Amino acid sequence: MRPTANIGAVRKTSPLYWALQLVGWGFHFNAQASGEVVFAGATWSQATMVWGTASVAGILLTQTFRWTAKRRGWLALPPYPLFARVAGSALLLAALSHLLVMSLSQIVYGTPVAPIMGSFYERLSESMQLRNQFIQILVIYASWLALYMAFAMQRRRQQLSEQLQSTQLRLLKSQLNPHFLFNALNGLRSLIEDEPARARDAVTQLARTLRYTLASGDEDLVSLERELEMVEDYLALESMRLAERLGVERRIEPAARASRVPTMLLQTLVENAIKHGIAALKEGGTLRIEARIVKDELRLTVTNPRPRGIAATDGAGVGLQNAAERLRLLFGARGGLNLDLSQPDRAVAEARMPR
Amino acid sequence: MKTLLVDDEPLARRELRRLLAAFPSVQIVGEASNIDEAHECIEALSPDVVFLDIQMPGGTGFDLLARLDHVPRIVFTTAYDQYAIKAFDVNALDYLLKPVEPQRLAAAIRKIQETAPRETASSGALPLEQLFIKDGPRCWFVPLRQVSLFTSEGNYVRLHWGQERPLLGRSLAALERKLDQKRFFRANRAQIVNLDFIQHVETGEGGRLHVQLRDGPEIEVSRRQAREFKERSTIA
Repeated sequence: MRPTANIGAVRKTSPLYWALQLVGWGFHFNAQASGEVVFAGATWSQATMVWGTASVAGILLTQTFRWTAKRRGWLALPPYPLFARVAGSALLLAALSHLLVMSLSQIVYGTPVAPIMGSFYERLSESMQLRNQFIQILVIYASWLALYMAFAMQRRRQQLSEQLQSTQLRLLKSQLNPHFLFNALNGLRSLIEDEPARARDAVTQLARTLRYTLASGDEDLVSLERELEMVEDYLALESMRLAERLGVERRIEPAARASRVPTMLLQTLVENAIKHGIAALKEGGTLRIEARIVKDELRLTVTNPRPRGIAATDGAGVGLQNAAERLRLLFGARGGLNLDLSQPDRAVAEARMPR
Repeated sequence: MKTLLVDDEPLARRELRRLLAAFPSVQIVGEASNIDEAHECIEALSPDVVFLDIQMPGGTGFDLLARLDHVPRIVFTTAYDQYAIKAFDVNALDYLLKPVEPQRLAAAIRKIQETAPRETASSGALPLEQLFIKDGPRCWFVPLRQVSLFTSEGNYVRLHWGQERPLLGRSLAALERKLDQKRFFRANRAQIVNLDFIQHVETGEGGRLHVQLRDGPEIEVSRRQAREFKERSTIA
């Protein structure tokens, strides 16, 4: 296993996408080339040179757009920045394609205007014909992008609601961690007689933890401030069990506190760090929780010592995988979770998301 | 009844101690917070009963049992691992769920007292009666008189026990020293055979013996061991 791994799987491209891509650009090629042969008297080989190449370029250009949009997480952007990027892309792709068609026509027919354009706009000047040629190409790319975005947004919305529901369910189940719950209750039973005041506090903390966990299914995002309150309750209960084996260090930038974070995200990281790190060490150790703003990103980092020589479990636990999936669903490519196990005696989990 | 408490949580040990105070027959001789400590305590104090947590830093309660020659009576105490215990083929184990209910605890202690007192763990000189074996995810308490054959596999020993073939993490030589010499016989360099399982014996060439085991393979007794084998079998 690699010491550092991005958690979670990448969604596969559907075969429908490729079918539409091939049919669409095939249709484009056929319409343009046959038009050029029938109306402008070009030969098939000439028309194929120009429009075959243009259609293949069309596939490559749109493919590049799609790759960029996915990689940069454009689908998760608010409407205006999203529109700006898509419109800009349409202009850029159309301009590139326009240049290509001009050069190909120049080579094949000796004029920058493709004959099919010339035959449609016979009476116009060459510059006007070129302008129309560009507009026609722009319409094609703009339609492609609009269609693609419509499909992609719809698909994303559907996935979001489906997966959010199922992750919420799984989350709820994994968060109501029976090990934690029953051990906490056992510790509590022990405290009742010897330290009733501490026992009362622990009951309150446990009640708040459970309430927060149960409510976490209703809301996707909470302020980091609120999440931290929950984490403190949780840590207090774990200290009851682990006593002096658990140390906690907090480095929370004040600016980060107002950021919105997925409910139970930090809690999952902390719980994981205790379960696989502190609680697995006889002498325990110190857990470090960091929250900082880097440019327009919030970074939550949980660092913990872990037993040496114990092979990391395959990939990451269910809890971390769910958390990674949720980040991706909520923030697209702008959210992510990384578990760094490159050091033999320490684990660093880092979650990134827009602030 | 000498009792040892093993749990990594101080509060859990305190709670169990308080609950056990209601049973005059229970004498708590020690506490351990991980399996290394527990191993030392068991060797030093030879308790009759061990209340044993499962999830602990440095190794589980099952790992501890696998290290012991003489396993005392075990009562697992667990917050949520009852499925793990039930999944194992361990009949000799009882378990309590935390927080422990006093009535369940009383029942567990009654059960321990009712079953015939076995030889205590202190009897290190006595031959092994049973072994706790943890092979991968599976665990067994194996009564050794039911094992027909031990076969050396490198530094490990493969047991032939009914349909099961669990692997024990010790060498054949180390195991041989602890086995009942009346029942088990070192047939050759790589095998120890249970005399109770022998069906018939044939003399082979060069003074070797071929021993046929019930429901099992044929074993060759080396020439060196054949003489001793004959002496033993005439006595028996």
